[in-house]
Amino acid sequence: MIKHHPDVNLLVDYVSGNISPAKAGCISTHNSYCGICRKTTFQLETLGAELLKDLESPPVHNSTFDSVLARLENSPQGQSESLNCKQESFPLVLKKLMSKEFEDLEWRKVTSALSVSRLHTGDLKHECALYQIAAGGKIPEHDHKGVEMTVVISGGFSDRQGVYHKGDFIFREKDQIHAPTALESEDCICLAVSDAPLRFTDWRYRWMNPFLRFSAG
Amino acid sequence: MAVPDSKKTEDQKDWDACLASIAVSNSEAFADFFNHFAPLIKSFAFSGSSMSAIHADELVQEVMIKVWQKAAAFDPKKASATTWLYAVARNCRTDLYRKLRKFDTPLTAEDLMIEEESQEAFDLLQIKRNAETIREKLQALPNEQRQVIAKIYMEGKSHSEVSAELDLPLGTVKSRVRLAINKLGVQLAPTGDSHD
Ligand SMILES: [Zn+2]
Repeated sequence: MIKHHPDVNLLVDYVSGNISPAKAGCISTHNSYCGICRKTTFQLETLGAELLKDLESPPVHNSTFDSVLARLENSPQGQSESLNCKQESFPLVLKKLMSKEFEDLEWRKVTSALSVSRLHTGDLKHECALYQIAAGGKIPEHDHKGVEMTVVISGGFSDRQGVYHKGDFIFREKDQIHAPTALESEDCICLAVSDAPLRFTDWRYRWMNPFLRFSAG
Repeated sequence: MAVPDSKKTEDQKDWDACLASIAVSNSEAFADFFNHFAPLIKSFAFSGSSMSAIHADELVQEVMIKVWQKAAAFDPKKASATTWLYAVARNCRTDLYRKLRKFDTPLTAEDLMIEEESQEAFDLLQIKRNAETIREKLQALPNEQRQVIAKIYMEGKSHSEVSAELDLPLGTVKSRVRLAINKLGVQLAPTGDSHD
């Protein structure tokens, strides 16, 4: 069962559209696993609708309606594509984020236990990536210059503050140091978004920091 | 900060049914929908960060085109027409903002907010009750809470932008939002996992 959720302030920023693309992707990935937060999200959207209804109604030119009709006439008929999800294991939003099949992602091996695949969201201020930790593998202790959001996609991991399973949403404040270890039973895959690249704090691994700075593109 | 409470009693048109007609390409229904909602969308555009009249008009067009194209995907068992429209308008506004700021992303706002089909379709009665509760309680919200909520939702400002604008600590903005959401009866995940 999912035990860790985004807090209400994050959900409000998400529902009102005030969140960066990468972070929105993280929250909708969690919501794809979490019926509770989906319901909260829905109620927060209902609130948006009520506020919208309360706005004033300035007149709109007939020409706007005519433009809409003209544009509809010139646009190809038919519904927007409905994405076919053959691969049951990933939420739809994650497939959009990956933009290709999971098998085709490029992975960068950081340690024997950790591989990273960067996802392109066009969001230059945030790093969005998939992390794969081998079963039982440990990620060297690191901290963050900014906040970090993580959603467990498969498997699970633990750190000093808890144990996290598929669907759990973890939010780490700036400068919180942690050293996640994947559960023994299976490889762990996480989606994570951070404001700034993570830095290893353990001197034995500091030499790896340059490797974590992804090359652009 | 003037809240327009002098709203006429809401006209009782069944917008769910109207959307269903649009889904089967009924252009009269589309005109009705447009006449009612286009002004609200225009207002929504203007309440955000200084959007020009041209871009406000562009937003109205984008939203209405989406309404026509996506009406078939509307499911009255899952949401009311206005809640559905709010999500469409929000996504279009986000995409327009990003375009205007030359923020180049391969993903649309809609792409990033797809949530897997819910197994448990909400029950229709509960949706209506929810909306009613929220509507009633919204009117009773203390001004300072409603103001913050409106800035975030309608003006499209993040918590930190609201905190800067109102010259309030971020923690105060966050707690006003939490208080408001609680009063509105929104159900939250049971968790101590909150943070300031
Ligand atoms: Zn949740």
